Amino acid sequence: MIPGKIVRFLEQYANVAFVGTRDRDLVPFGHRVSGWSVGADQRTMTILVPDEFLQRLVESLRHNGELAVTVEAFPSHETYQFKGSYRHHRGVQDGDVEIADRIRRRFVKTIRPMSHEPEDALHAFVSPPALAVEFEVLEIYLQTPGPGAGTRLIPPVEG
Amino acid sequence: MPMTRLPPEIRPVLESGTPAAMVTCSADGKPNTTVISRVYYVDDMHAALSFQFFSKTIRNVRENPRAFVCVWDMAGHAHWALQLEFERSETDGPIFDAMDMQIEAIASMTGMSGIFKLRAADIYRVLSVERVQHPRWTGTEFAN
Repeated sequence: MIPGKIVRFLEQYANVAFVGTRDRDLVPFGHRVSGWSVGADQRTMTILVPDEFLQRLVESLRHNGELAVTVEAFPSHETYQFKGSYRHHRGVQDGDVEIADRIRRRFVKTIRPMSHEPEDALHAFVSPPALAVEFEVLEIYLQTPGPGAGTRLIPPVEG
Repeated sequence: MPMTRLPPEIRPVLESGTPAAMVTCSADGKPNTTVISRVYYVDDMHAALSFQFFSKTIRNVRENPRAFVCVWDMAGHAHWALQLEFERSETDGPIFDAMDMQIEAIASMTGMSGIFKLRAADIYRVLSVERVQHPRWTGTEFAN
């Protein structure tokens, strides 16, 4: 189950995400994520992937179901990695577009004061979503830079 | 079409210091993603990545040397997708020294001095590199 603190992080602060998959030959591949949401039971997440990052995604997920999603709040660098198992994918709906738009606005608002990039480049960094992928979250790792980076949070490490 | 050498036009993107995303995979098939502070140009067939704290990534590439790195070119509305293969790790020498100096500069700019610390320069061979153009922002992308 995704802890409430991390749900709040995802819903209120995080502004960048990336998903990793791998093919049948264990070759890794990456895909930008435009948005995310947590399932009502806090055991699943849905990630929204733009068109330019769909290459190999569905094929790999159908083959082995393995995925890892890193979500970061820039510039604080608070970062978590969610590892899990693919459930299904579907086309985007109106609500998905609104989620990605909210994250785009959050990203631009946060980055604008410290970026030298043109305004349109900041907006274009979060592309409109083309596909929604739901997965079951099995493990959560802290990835915030520092001594605790890599610590497994869920399920907790015993001892 | 993917290339097998790093083209000259990727150098300014790498040298801009934009963070990148990296994906590796363990021998038992579990992918791992992480944000890396920078990808370093070594020559047109090699890139270097800093080994700071991402221990799962370090373990993965030593049991399965394949890696994927995505570098953003925000001004160019594009990203670069790199397929890499881990070759060796260096803990001294000119590549390590140059990376160490640049990481310290990034750390001081981002308030992470003392936290960002280079342990090794990991050298990867470039298997393929591809530039993917994104659509230009028009302001109507998210309109319903």
